Amino acid sequence: MCGNEALAEAAILAGCDAYFGYPITPQNEIPAYMSRRMPEEGRVFVQSESELAAINMVFGASATGKRAMTSSSSPGISLMQEGISYLAGAELPAVVVNITRGGPGLGNISPAQSDYFQATRGGGHGDYRTIVLAPSSVQEMVDCMLLAFDLADQYRMTVLVLADGILGQMMEPIVLEKKPSRELPPKDWALTGAKGREQNIIRSLWLGEGVLEKHNNKLKAKYEQVQENEVLCEQYEVDDAEIVVVAYGVTARIVRGAAAKAREEGIKVGWIRPITLWPFPTEQISKVANEFRIFLTVEMSAGQMVEDVKLAVAGKAPVVFYGRPGGSVPTVDELLDKIRQLTLRHEIKI
Amino acid sequence: MDTQIFDMHNIDIAWCPGCGNFPILKTLKQALAELEIEPANLVLVSGIGQAAKIPHYFKTNVFNGLHGRALPAATAIKAANPALTVISESGDGDMYGEGGNHFLHTIRRNPDITNIVHNNMVYGLTKGQASPTSQIGFKTPVQVGGVFLEPFNPLAVAIALDASFVARCFAGDAEQTKEIIKKAIKHKGYALVDIFQPCASFNKLNTYEWFKKHTYYLEDSHDHSNKNEAFKKATEEEKFPLGIFYIKPDKKTFEENIGIYQENQQPLYERKPNTGKLHSLIETFKFAD
Repeated sequence: MCGNEALAEAAILAGCDAYFGYPITPQNEIPAYMSRRMPEEGRVFVQSESELAAINMVFGASATGKRAMTSSSSPGISLMQEGISYLAGAELPAVVVNITRGGPGLGNISPAQSDYFQATRGGGHGDYRTIVLAPSSVQEMVDCMLLAFDLADQYRMTVLVLADGILGQMMEPIVLEKKPSRELPPKDWALTGAKGREQNIIRSLWLGEGVLEKHNNKLKAKYEQVQENEVLCEQYEVDDAEIVVVAYGVTARIVRGAAAKAREEGIKVGWIRPITLWPFPTEQISKVANEFRIFLTVEMSAGQMVEDVKLAVAGKAPVVFYGRPGGSVPTVDELLDKIRQLTLRHEIKI
Repeated sequence: MDTQIFDMHNIDIAWCPGCGNFPILKTLKQALAELEIEPANLVLVSGIGQAAKIPHYFKTNVFNGLHGRALPAATAIKAANPALTVISESGDGDMYGEGGNHFLHTIRRNPDITNIVHNNMVYGLTKGQASPTSQIGFKTPVQVGGVFLEPFNPLAVAIALDASFVARCFAGDAEQTKEIIKKAIKHKGYALVDIFQPCASFNKLNTYEWFKKHTYYLEDSHDHSNKNEAFKKATEEEKFPLGIFYIKPDKKTFEENIGIYQENQQPLYERKPNTGKLHSLIETFKFAD
């Protein structure tokens, strides 16, 4: 099973009732898999006429209280931003998978991490947030999908799963097991027919003086709760590290190899891998940021997450960036070289 | 004019062997050469898809934009410089699916452009999903039980919207296709040329043989000024007619309708801003002494 298929099966395991999507490389295995499996499970699969249709079908299905998802790749996700903004305004749960590729524009179909800003800052308009999960293995793609549907329902938010073409195509053994779900609030807001109760209204339009401000403050309070409770990250050998590498997704795997090799050479390297890109592990990074360390951020982009690392480090340590944009993937030796160079700089500094 | 003037050298063509896009590429070059249209005066505008790669294999001015959005860009290019020959060329997924809304409204707007659609009834670039024109029952790795959606009928839609030129060709017949493309380019106003194009890799149903068997040319007696007759022909499904279905000759183009060319023929892109007019406008906002 490749990553894309594992992710699709995990969505079914998570109770996804409806899948909507439009073809785009490198995620076509997801709709292909769903087109076969969803009808087998008595659930909905639709190939839409465009990405705009797909995200609005998610909008509609979610409004009825059903678990709905879509998947696409970078240019398609750009088209969906309008819908994601409206989902945020209407406080509806949704799961959106981005198997990213190089941009801007049509770019190429190689793996890239250049959608970090779009995912974490919200590519649509208005004051809103989306939860962003960044798996780095096929197993974690499964785990993230199971978590994504729960988080979406708990906070009535869009949860983006941000992976890339490598993870989508990669094959690894997985365990498909539904973990005990968290306690979720009842969907008393859903459009289920108003017999015997007041009607429910799904909307993102809040006219009237101060009404939108009140609504936005309510969203803000909710987002703060997410920041408080839902940060996920992995740390390794940070305690004695002189160089702390921060990387997510597939890049973190390459970092892991480079860090192990550096340790063999006696260079004290540790790493931090954010799993939630929003909420970002600001506190976890801040806690270990001090003047005896250098932070190295590695991304398959021209430098996006590095801004969040800088905000977390807040001037307490130097933050260096190394990136390969345009769908290029750094090698272990390339990163090892970069780490060696930093050691030299570090010694000069001390 | 020699067709070689449009040839690119040392390029990798990404189409599969046997792809119906090859004969269309060749035929379009021939049509343009016979019409003596210089590469410098031509713009090929496309969106995304296998067909949308055609401008990359053409030595001329090229605009390769967003998925589904070739027609709005082509409309604007023509409006900015009406002297250019503008051809908006893409596949059925691009023009009728993602760009379906633009297809409708470009016909209504009637810019003097040619809209060539490579209709292979499948998404080739993303490896074989059903497209808006896929036939009912067509099985793919995504439409596992077969397509059950009514296929989009571009010709009937275009005729219903009173498009100024509506034709259909088959990529397997280069000679007729060339003649129809030539007429479409010469036609003043929006011209749709839907071309049946076999996809050798992902559409095993609508092959060269299938198209040969399921098409026929409209009789010479077909009156392409008769809208009802054209519509009737466009809705035939047992065998798909080929040829020119409908022409509405004297329809005003978008360029003729927009104010900017009614008094001044100078193309928009050549015009300098009228600073005098701007100054007098600013004057009107000033407080009187």
